[in-house]
Amino acid sequence: MSANAQMATKYKNNFLKEVEEQVEMGEWVKMCMQCGVCSGSCPTNFHPGWEHPPQEIFMMIRAGKREEVLTSPSMWMCTSCYNCIVRCPRKLPITHIMHGLANYAHRLGVAPKMQPTRSFAKLFWNNCVKTGRVNELKLSVGLYFKDGLSQGIRNGMAMKDVALGLLKAKRLNPFELFGGHKCKDQNGIHAMLKKARELEEKRKALKAAA
Amino acid sequence: MTAIVATNETILVVGGGISGMTAALEAAETGKQVVLVEKTAALGGRTSQLYRYFPKMCHPTCGLEINLRRLKANPRIKVLTLAEVTGITGGSGDYTATVRITPRYVNENCTACGECAKVVSTQVDDQFNYKLGKTKAAYLPNAMAYPQRYVLDASIIGTAEAEKAKAACKYGAIDLDQKEETMQIKAGAVVWATGWQPYDAAKIQPYGYGRFKNVITSVEFERLADPHGPTRGKLLRPSDGKEAKNVAFIQCAGSRDENHLRHCSRFCCMASLKQTHYVHENFPEDGKSTIYYIDIRAIDRFEDFYQKVKADSSVTFTKSKVARISLNEATGNPICHGVDTEGYHRYANEHDLVVLAVGMEPSVKGMSIPASVAADSSGFIEADPLNGGIFGAGCATNALDVNRSVQSATAAALRAVQVVNKVARAEA
Amino acid sequence: MSAEKKVAAYICKGCGLGERLDADALVNVAQKEGKVQLARSHDFLCSEEGVDLIKSDIANEGVTHIMIGACSRRAKTEAFYFPQNAVARANLREGVIWIRPDTEEARETTQEMAADYIRMGCAEIKAMSAPAGNPNTGSSRTLLVVGGGVSGMTAALEASRTGYPVVLVEKSGQLGGWAAKLWRRIPVHEPFKAPADTGVADMVAQIQADPNIKVYLNATVAKTDGAPGRFEVQIATESGSVATEDIGAIIQATGAEPYDANKLPELGYGKSPDVVDQAGLEALARAANGGPMLKPSNGKPVKSVAFVQCAGQRDAGGQHLSYCSGYCCNASIKQAMYFKDGNPDVDTTILFTDLRTPGNGEDFYRSAQEKGVIFSKGKVASVSPGADALTVNFHDLILDDKDARLEVDLVVLATGQVPNSGVDIEAPNKPQVEGGAADAATVEAKPISILNLQYRQGPDVPQLKWGFTDSHFICFPYETRRTGIYTVGPVRRPMDMAQAREDATGATLKAIQAIENAQLGRAAHPRSGDLSFPKVRLEGCTQCKRCTVECPFGAIDEDERRFPLFNESRCRRCGTCMGACPVRVISFENYSVDTVGSQIKAVDIPDEFSEKPRILILACENDAYPALDMAGMQHNEYSAFVRIIPVRCLGSVNTIWITDALNAGYDGVMLMGCKHGENYQCHFVKGSELGRYRLSKIDDTLKNLNLETDRVRDLEVAIADIEHVPAMINQYAERIVEIGMSPFKSF
Repeated sequence: MSANAQMATKYKNNFLKEVEEQVEMGEWVKMCMQCGVCSGSCPTNFHPGWEHPPQEIFMMIRAGKREEVLTSPSMWMCTSCYNCIVRCPRKLPITHIMHGLANYAHRLGVAPKMQPTRSFAKLFWNNCVKTGRVNELKLSVGLYFKDGLSQGIRNGMAMKDVALGLLKAKRLNPFELFGGHKCKDQNGIHAMLKKARELEEKRKALKAAA
Repeated sequence: MTAIVATNETILVVGGGISGMTAALEAAETGKQVVLVEKTAALGGRTSQLYRYFPKMCHPTCGLEINLRRLKANPRIKVLTLAEVTGITGGSGDYTATVRITPRYVNENCTACGECAKVVSTQVDDQFNYKLGKTKAAYLPNAMAYPQRYVLDASIIGTAEAEKAKAACKYGAIDLDQKEETMQIKAGAVVWATGWQPYDAAKIQPYGYGRFKNVITSVEFERLADPHGPTRGKLLRPSDGKEAKNVAFIQCAGSRDENHLRHCSRFCCMASLKQTHYVHENFPEDGKSTIYYIDIRAIDRFEDFYQKVKADSSVTFTKSKVARISLNEATGNPICHGVDTEGYHRYANEHDLVVLAVGMEPSVKGMSIPASVAADSSGFIEADPLNGGIFGAGCATNALDVNRSVQSATAAALRAVQVVNKVARAEA
Repeated sequence: MSAEKKVAAYICKGCGLGERLDADALVNVAQKEGKVQLARSHDFLCSEEGVDLIKSDIANEGVTHIMIGACSRRAKTEAFYFPQNAVARANLREGVIWIRPDTEEARETTQEMAADYIRMGCAEIKAMSAPAGNPNTGSSRTLLVVGGGVSGMTAALEASRTGYPVVLVEKSGQLGGWAAKLWRRIPVHEPFKAPADTGVADMVAQIQADPNIKVYLNATVAKTDGAPGRFEVQIATESGSVATEDIGAIIQATGAEPYDANKLPELGYGKSPDVVDQAGLEALARAANGGPMLKPSNGKPVKSVAFVQCAGQRDAGGQHLSYCSGYCCNASIKQAMYFKDGNPDVDTTILFTDLRTPGNGEDFYRSAQEKGVIFSKGKVASVSPGADALTVNFHDLILDDKDARLEVDLVVLATGQVPNSGVDIEAPNKPQVEGGAADAATVEAKPISILNLQYRQGPDVPQLKWGFTDSHFICFPYETRRTGIYTVGPVRRPMDMAQAREDATGATLKAIQAIENAQLGRAAHPRSGDLSFPKVRLEGCTQCKRCTVECPFGAIDEDERRFPLFNESRCRRCGTCMGACPVRVISFENYSVDTVGSQIKAVDIPDEFSEKPRILILACENDAYPALDMAGMQHNEYSAFVRIIPVRCLGSVNTIWITDALNAGYDGVMLMGCKHGENYQCHFVKGSELGRYRLSKIDDTLKNLNLETDRVRDLEVAIADIEHVPAMINQYAERIVEIGMSPFKSF
């Protein structure tokens, strides 16, 4: 049984409860009063992909629309500008809830596969946990080539002037492509992350038990 | 200054708005002695600054006229204006209040003939019109003002203007030597009815009040609609005096908001519904109102009024708290941005004028009352035995509309009467 | 009061009156034409010196009647306060010089206007006397409270605390009413987060321990006779005994019933025992006594519950209640907490269209959300009972899902309140308003009188709308149309317990006031303190009954010979009876057919070639007259041809004044009164309406006199019409010029 199916079974389609227990800041969802200020405050102006604004996502959670919410690309569109948090009359940490939902969907493996923010987030995370340092060159290259070789070359050519400028200014080291710089205690970083994950699981278990 | 004879059988009423006047009149008409203390120069409070009342669309000045007639006919009430209670000591049945009186520079000889205003040229902000206009520095606070006596603005005292006013008065009514004074008043019970103030709209940053001239508050809109107001009742917007035909009303401007006022101010939905009538009344052909709301709280029999406004095709309801307002620089029109949450529709609607239905907060918050009283987290007075003989009335106790303020004030009057009756029985 | 009447007239020369008018000529008018015994002018009459002059004349000259020609009767009231004397005011300032241009050519007409007001003032004061108060006072200080619920108990306890004895009548066998059936109440104190104890048991105990409160249980009011201060009330108990109590004032706190959920079969009520109304849920909660609540159908614990707000309420279709009951949102929140506080795993959903939790109710709402109560904006279409669960079908308005559904164990319908207001005494005359079906149902269901008033106009307090006995006055919520009888709590208006307690406390003060006023023979609101009262000359009465039918306050009964029987302490002194009386036998000491009629006759009518028409204005003293006054304060000019007389109410206008005026050669008559109808603004409720009805017949009179119908104009004027009213006058003056001078001048 997939992680997704396991959770669906566990919460017997009480999706709000699932969100409250499993999603970071999910316990705030119930406090929304549907005023719409978050949605109206979003500077992305709901570009394609923003199917559901935050307050609607919250209502969908309450209405038990599990599948629709978790597979939605909407949460991935958040740019963390915090306008919604600042204005929310109920002080909901909307930005964090959006990220929490995105993260949860990702963990369950139901997040939209081709969503660019998600791809970037994955690339970024994998890039930085490996060595404890962000390798910007590898990150950019990875991003350029995520849609295939020819598209990657096209992307690279489009950005070549920027790259040359950076090279000239000694802000880009081509040798970073091979290994690159690392932090002093790579194992320590990995241990830290492992511990963090354990703590997170424990917290969630406690929350579920409560 | 008028001598005040007060004993511990006297009821002190603090605040001369509709609640304070009601409490004072009801107690006095039950045979009690009352001292009514009002901070401004005239009685009537915020209701006297309203054009019409919901739901009957009648005029607040009509009730004020009755109350003033009751007051004029009742020698048991002593009225102190420009007076503020700065301290209360003692306990139930035996209070002493300290009252600070600010000079009016006009004594009771004044006949309200207006000669002083004719010779004074200095203009000051018209407080009665929420500073939307100017008034002469020698002025009658408003057409219904009681006491019907002029005031000299403190800013002209010591100038030639004040001397001109004095010279113009044939009745020796102008007394430029008046000084601030303090008096002690005995009272058995105190009714605290200091009312409310509109929430400071400038604090709601995304709405641009103070930055955009055509974003005003609901209390200011009342003044625009009033024939006594700065536009003589015409709905002309502040930026360019253009007729405001397409008006947006934003509900919960400050209320139901943990960044501002936690409570619901109760009256604002009805106030905005009422104000759509002003738009309709001024522009029967092409007036347009849009109400942006979270929940329409037309409580109890007011539902009827809501249904009637809903049936008016010139009024649109959008379930949405407006997220922000921007400005069309070319036209001066405010643009409301937000999302209609019923089915999710984004909008950017341009209006001639935006009216913020600002919330109600106590004008003297619980902790600032110069006596020990229990208050809730919004600063409204709570009924509590520990308050002793001090009773909150009207909007000092809750976000209330006029009708409920009057109920509350009448109830407070009874509680005060109970205290002084007890004193009387003990003394008998 | 001295037996000999001595009239003095004082003409003030202050505020520009001396410059704009010939004061000596006015003194002369007062003496020669007004025939006052003493006439003086003064430079500054409201000064201490001026007032001392009047006082000295009272003390040394035996002056009893004072006519002051100065500013408006609304100004300088403290200075001109002579409570022992009859006082008339001729308004020369706001009514003459301030509304006329200060020009040489206007001088003559302005002076004529002032002279007429002096003539009118003198005529009025001579027809007046200082009222001495109604001798038919009552002395009972006991308060009758009808209804032993929270409102009634509050009134009883508060009255007793103020030092007044109470008789409390409760129709059931115990005190407490609906509140006693509640498990918990909506909180009223910080932090407004959890249901609170109802406090009912404590109130009952306090009442039982109070020797000042006499309680009749299983009892009803069989008969109420009399008037404030001297009501005689018969109380019938179930056992058949009848007790009689002397009562000073009455508080009717008969509460409300839940709206009958049987009328909502589409919401499953009656189809499944698991669909209950809010009262039903309280019963379940009380039965559970803090434990899990059980499904009525099978006794198993409820795991999920849906609350349907506005069930049978806010119905614009007219089938159910059209109003909102105000308390149900908070009540459902409270009831959802009953579940959540016991077991957070119970799913609770509140389906609403507008959630109405005013004031600190917002904290209560937030607290419910914190506890996990789900709020959904949705319109419920139906509730269908299934084998195991109920399906709530609704339109989710946020997600715009028309086919949203919810499966739950229990459904609670928030059906709201219907007042217990007794007999609708106006039912046969009432126009069918929207929601007519519900109105009819209300009337059908409650034909039993509550107070059994032995009043000519019927046994109960008149109702406003939907059966509520509210006054519909914003500034004066306690005014009913039955003096000394106050309705409180949900019978007056939909309300929750907290509001009902406040309401009852305020009404208790009003009832105590009514008792005090009745003892002193004074009027109650809005002419509080007025000592005048209607006197009737029965010898002239033709028993036409108009006064008894029209009195807005039910003050006049008929005696066994069918003559009107005035109950002065029920009277509010509006004068509607006086206006109604075709033979003019009703009058007040300070306001009568004569006080106004003699003013009308006192005006000097120039001949028809003078080009000086005369227009009489009868203006309501509460709205139109202040509007005219304020127009004067703004120096808004109007025609010098009008002569204005304030009247207590349009209802007090006797048509004889109009026919007299027209016969005397007035060219036109304007009547200015308050709005009537649904949103009436008349503070005597029906006064302006009755006045208008009477005046609508004036056309016949005009036809008989061969006069144009435009000679009389009835206008609705509000107090804010300060800009509008001068324009109305000027337009009318122009119209009069158009139709020409009255042919009656030469007679």
